[in-house]
Amino acid sequence: MLKVTNIKKHYGKTEVLKGIDLEVNKGDVVAILGPSGSGKTTLLRCISFLSHANEGHISFAGIDGEMRRMSRKQIHELRMHMGFVFQSFNLFRNKTAIENVMEGLVIPRHVPKDEARAIASRMLEKVGLSDRTDFYPDELSGGQQQRVAIARALALSPEVILFDEPTSALDPELTTEVLAVMRDLAKEGTTMVVVTHEMEFAKEVADRVIFMENGVVVEDSPSSLFFTNPKEERSAAFVKKILQK
Amino acid sequence: MSERLLRILVTSFMQLLEAGLKMTMPITLGAFALSVILGLLLAVVQVANIKGLKQFASFYIWIFRGTPVIVQLFIIFFGLPYVGIVIEAVPAAIIGFGLNLAAYNAESIRAAILAVPKGQTEAAYLVGLTYPQLMRRIVIPQAARVAFPSLWNNLISLVKDTSLAASITVVELFTRAQQVAARTYEPLAMYLEAAFIYLIFCTVLTWIQRIVERKMVWQSHTDNKNKRRGLLCLK
Repeated sequence: MLKVTNIKKHYGKTEVLKGIDLEVNKGDVVAILGPSGSGKTTLLRCISFLSHANEGHISFAGIDGEMRRMSRKQIHELRMHMGFVFQSFNLFRNKTAIENVMEGLVIPRHVPKDEARAIASRMLEKVGLSDRTDFYPDELSGGQQQRVAIARALALSPEVILFDEPTSALDPELTTEVLAVMRDLAKEGTTMVVVTHEMEFAKEVADRVIFMENGVVVEDSPSSLFFTNPKEERSAAFVKKILQK
Repeated sequence: MSERLLRILVTSFMQLLEAGLKMTMPITLGAFALSVILGLLLAVVQVANIKGLKQFASFYIWIFRGTPVIVQLFIIFFGLPYVGIVIEAVPAAIIGFGLNLAAYNAESIRAAILAVPKGQTEAAYLVGLTYPQLMRRIVIPQAARVAFPSLWNNLISLVKDTSLAASITVVELFTRAQQVAARTYEPLAMYLEAAFIYLIFCTVLTWIQRIVERKMVWQSHTDNKNKRRGLLCLK
């Protein structure tokens, strides 16, 4: 469903991604793990065209082509089919929770306001925030903001949702509530690609683990295998270090 | 205080106030409206990086910030008629002050736009907004709140700067004070009175600023008392 091949990205002389391949099928929950600076976030940003890959091919939502050659219109079209959840939530601060969720429905997708409001309130209910619909982001905790952000992505029925370290800015208690929501989504069959440091989540919720280091994919395994019997020496070392913690 | 001076002060107060309300304030508000609209355009073309217009905006700001407003007024009112453009004194003042202040407001608005966290721009693109939609719906409303205090500061400055319009024959508050002073030989009393009326105008504008700032907080569920306290903390 989503397939990228040979993504390369460099900032000046620093190569951040050295030819990454990634294929995600419908219903997959893929966790991308790896030490800081391995290029995980950059990979998600390239797939969503927030950063421009220097090389690479993408095939998604009926569009197929070189990433560098994508027109503004094609990028817009690709984005209309993917959701993105940021580490820092990035809610629109001048809009209430429900308006944040409605925005992508009403303006780009021309859903009538009443209908959009109904969808949005259903999504907020799903992430457990029915009682916060009219609150502004500044009035919500980090965990609540992130759940609104998830509802905002979800409301647009994307084919895949990309999560960029969704709990890294949250303290442990709030992390739990966000992970619970993501767990529910996984159960419902939402296709997700999650860059994370939450090993429990990767272990229990993800079907697949992609382990990255220094801009390359070291290992791509079913998550049960990755944690018990990793193929590669480097990922074995990584898993060992985590289990020691 | 002599009875004569008291009588002069009372009658002239109404005359000065009238000149203030009928001339100073309309010129101020007209010029301010022009300067905000033009300033917004100048700021947006710079941030949006529109080729040609961006260069024009920095050129414009360079010129209007780099020359005295009184010289600009003289060029518009006394100079332009020599190339066939005749503008009445009051519109000339509105245009002159408006064009001048636009250069300053453009910089305030540009800084405010840049202060809106970039993450929201990325989020907006990813839910499918286009650049103009993003600017109109997300960035400008937030930038307005950031820019408001400095725009209002410029407005308060402008109220007093409009006294320069006296030099292009506009009979506003200060010109009126000069006239009364010349007639009554009471310059000290008259100019103190004029100063006092400017002070009243600026005081009212300061009150309005407080009220608007309080309303601009994006919170719906914090009680008013806390909101007020929150603003005081900021200051």
